[in-house]
Amino acid sequence: MVLAARLALADLLGERLLALCSVLALAAVLAPLLILAGLRAGVVQGLREALLEDPHAREVTTAANRSFDAALLTRLAARPDVLFLAPRTRTLAASLLLERPDEPGRGARAELIPTAAGDPLLPVVPPGSYDGTDGVVLSASIAARLHAGAGDALVGRLARVLDGRRDAVALALTVTAVAPPAAFTREAAFVSLPFAVLVEDFQDGRVGPPDGVAGLPPVSRAEYAGFRLYARRLEDVPALDASLQAEGIEVVSRAGDVAGLLRVDRNLTLLFGLVAGLGGAGFLVSLGAGLWANVERKRMPLAQLRFLGLRAGALRVFPMAQALVLAALGVGVALAAALVGAAVVNRLFAGLLALDRPLCLISPGLAAGAAGLTGVGALLVAAAAGTRAARVEPWEGVSAP
Amino acid sequence: MNHAPLRAESVRRSVGGFTLMIERFVVEAGQRVAVVGPSGCGKSTALALLALALRPDEGEALALGGTDALALWRAGAGDALAGLRSRTLGFVPQTGALLPFLSLRDNIALPQRIAGRPEPARVDALAARLGIAAVLHRHPAAVSVGQRQRAAIARALSHRPGVVLADEPTASVHPTQADDILALLTEVAEEDGAALVISTHDAPRAVAAGFAVAPGRVDGTADATTFCWPT
Repeated sequence: MVLAARLALADLLGERLLALCSVLALAAVLAPLLILAGLRAGVVQGLREALLEDPHAREVTTAANRSFDAALLTRLAARPDVLFLAPRTRTLAASLLLERPDEPGRGARAELIPTAAGDPLLPVVPPGSYDGTDGVVLSASIAARLHAGAGDALVGRLARVLDGRRDAVALALTVTAVAPPAAFTREAAFVSLPFAVLVEDFQDGRVGPPDGVAGLPPVSRAEYAGFRLYARRLEDVPALDASLQAEGIEVVSRAGDVAGLLRVDRNLTLLFGLVAGLGGAGFLVSLGAGLWANVERKRMPLAQLRFLGLRAGALRVFPMAQALVLAALGVGVALAAALVGAAVVNRLFAGLLALDRPLCLISPGLAAGAAGLTGVGALLVAAAAGTRAARVEPWEGVSAP
Repeated sequence: MNHAPLRAESVRRSVGGFTLMIERFVVEAGQRVAVVGPSGCGKSTALALLALALRPDEGEALALGGTDALALWRAGAGDALAGLRSRTLGFVPQTGALLPFLSLRDNIALPQRIAGRPEPARVDALAARLGIAAVLHRHPAAVSVGQRQRAAIARALSHRPGVVLADEPTASVHPTQADDILALLTEVAEEDGAALVISTHDAPRAVAAGFAVAPGRVDGTADATTFCWPT
């Protein structure tokens, strides 16, 4: 076997030019296929990452204030496709006037958004760092308006008119962090659920004026006005959206965008499958024809080796070793050409996808797949041709032509 | 029991209406036999049958070094036949028929490698003996016809076979070289004690080189030839 492989390599080396032709022929068919596959991967990956970068891509929120059973929320939060769920208080009631202690009267009104540990919108905030404290996380816009940053002290002002009497409360707060601009564009403050519920209860007259928000106990309400949740995977969003709508819960999500991306992925995959199927079939035919012709050409030396005593198995190794070397070189050249091609494509179409993502993406997996397919195809053809060659009559190898 | 290195009885093969019959052919160690007859009478076919390179249509006995090759042919044991050839047989084809992708040295060493008995010193010794030591590193295409034929002789002998068959070994070289090549072939085979069977149309040259002649008997209609040795 080893001897046969060495003889095969010696033969290949002896016909460098022909071998080079085979390698180039192979690479010429394979390289465009690689670029095509890279384009598909690049486009889908690019769209996907652009969508994923938006923290709201996986968000599903209730559209209007309604009453939702706490049990329903617990059940939703437990779904395997739900990563995070935070209840919401009533939108109108949930707001707070924030101002700096040294600039009274120049505050800004902040929506209160209940949050909890693991909120995908707030990756910058250490989980639980302000639960039970007087901490709030400011949206970037309100932080800019108030010139406030992490660690700053703020005053939160609440007021209500109850039974003709006006109650005003000033709450001492501390800025825990400022959320990334993409997290929330409007002026808002992320607060713990007990904080938000306290504000709502105060506005509704259910509780008296609070002293502060530090050390609030966990709340257990029977109903919430809404919720926002995050799908575990981007692909889960459309189904999650549809499932909630089917339950009669009106929600807002990016399901349409996600479905669009999934459709693009599916269509591109199908399109690529068709083109690659045709191209790949052509590639395998050309690979097979080339290798078969190669073995046919080698009938004489193969018959001679048979006559000299090589076993049939070794005779099959001869074309298989050559095929493997040709395939490896062909894939190598094709990959090199495709990588150059991909670089050109990415330069020409730079900025077509968001954030300068490469349009053509030839991943190691893609390269390995192409190499594997080519290698297996080459070996199969060579094995078939070699089996035929092994049946050659030894006399052919030594008789005068 | 002492086996003759080569033994055939009633081995027959038909090729396109022409029948070749080896009635009886027993060659002892060290013997030199020339299968003689005009071109096209079936000398090469006879050698192919004896070299286990061509399947006989039928036969009563065909043995190389005491191994029953006929049974192997009947069993379709191609690998066993290949092994038997590589162990017991050296063959000099009509024209070089060296592997074009190997140097002369590797060509000559190939039967040793296939038989699993590498003996580099013998390659050098044979090359020196045959006057091709200086071109051993070259590929067949880069040497003369005569040098190729000498390399083929060295290859046929490199693995110390008990039987050496040569199919018109001098047909492709200039007559002045023919005697040299024949002499070298017989000398080296003799040193090894190998039985030597050649085919040739040139009976006088074979006789001069010390060969016993086994003439082919062509039948009246010229569509069958019979060889027999000893006559």
